[in-house]
Amino acid sequence: MRWPARSLARRALVAGVLVLTGSLGGCGVLPPLPEPVPADIVPSAPADLSPAAGGDALSPDGFDAVERMAVRIRNVGCEELSTGSGFAIDEHTLITNKHVVSDSKDLEVSTYDGHDITVGTTATAGLADLAVVRTTDPLPSFPELAKADPEPGDPVTVVGYPAGGELTVTQGEVISTTRDPLNANLGEVLLTDAPVEPGSSGSAALDAKGRVIGVVYAKTADDNSLLVPLSTLQDVLADDTAFTPAKGC
Amino acid sequence: MTEAPVVAAPGPAREPGPRRGSRVLAIVLVATIAVGAYLWLTTVRWQSTSAEWEEKAHGYAEEVASLRMQLDGANSELQAARDQLSTATARITDLANEKAQLGDENVASEQYLNYQTQVSAAAATVASALGQCVSGQEQLVGYLKDADQYEPSDLSRYEREVNALCADAEDANEALQKELRP
Repeated sequence: MRWPARSLARRALVAGVLVLTGSLGGCGVLPPLPEPVPADIVPSAPADLSPAAGGDALSPDGFDAVERMAVRIRNVGCEELSTGSGFAIDEHTLITNKHVVSDSKDLEVSTYDGHDITVGTTATAGLADLAVVRTTDPLPSFPELAKADPEPGDPVTVVGYPAGGELTVTQGEVISTTRDPLNANLGEVLLTDAPVEPGSSGSAALDAKGRVIGVVYAKTADDNSLLVPLSTLQDVLADDTAFTPAKGC
Repeated sequence: MTEAPVVAAPGPAREPGPRRGSRVLAIVLVATIAVGAYLWLTTVRWQSTSAEWEEKAHGYAEEVASLRMQLDGANSELQAARDQLSTATARITDLANEKAQLGDENVASEQYLNYQTQVSAAAATVASALGQCVSGQEQLVGYLKDADQYEPSDLSRYEREVNALCADAEDANEALQKELRP
């Protein structure tokens, strides 16, 4: 059957109009209907929310960890009184200098916030100016030991009670290693420019990450400080025979 | 047999031109009305949606303003709390130091008291020994005044006893002097 030419043209026109109408909508020329407005557009959990500035400095009571692990030691001798510093290495163990606890009738230990800590036993090292004090009461905080001795130029922080006064944090850097001018320690010791005073003996010397790198034991004539290095501390702590009970006065 | 003549059947009558044109126009008109209706509906819907979004935006803007005020307040309180914490920790450090100094003074006072007690005891011992020495010497002087009434050996023994007392007093005095030396 043949379609007349005019009929074909008319049908093509109608189809064209329909196709044009459809394509106007389908191809996006006509705007689509809007999506319904959602009831709530607030995300359930904020993404990438970082803690407020200074949040990492918070501690249980506002004191830094380095302050919380330092202790003040009062050595009540038979005839005189002296003070020194020390620091915790675990919940019931303190490290200080041998000369801080020597000739003692009674040792009185107090923390950064004035709490008194009951002392159990005291032992001193034979080949280093170090002493270990075991406490009956738990200590509030204790630091990590560093992995190795520091190098010259490394920063050092000393936390202790210079002159038996307030808890003080001083900064400096390692100058060099040297022979012990006092002959109180076997091997080499560390020389730093961190300020110390009498009474700072036994203070912890810490690296930039707050890890122990040595123990303050003396001050030089040119106001530098001498440290028993971490390696010596670890050696004597690892040696069961290195410490003997301290003799009282 | 004669064949019938073949005559072509007449086709449908062709529509007149104006009628065809109006039909096309009608179709175009319907399509235009449909598109117009769709556009009107779209516009109304978008207006409605836009109004809802605007209302929501105003709501969230008010909420943001309120939260900003709360955040400012919270930040102020946090700063105040930090200042108070800093003051409190400084005060705790001061108090711990004061307690330590008082403890030192207490221990030093006890040691001084013990020293004073020892010195006093030594002084008392010296005083007592000197008193016995003096008393013995007075007694010896009295005996020597009437020496003929006593046996010489008794006098000599008594003299040795008095000398021993005085030597003890001297030792006690030396110990006291040593105790007093700085």
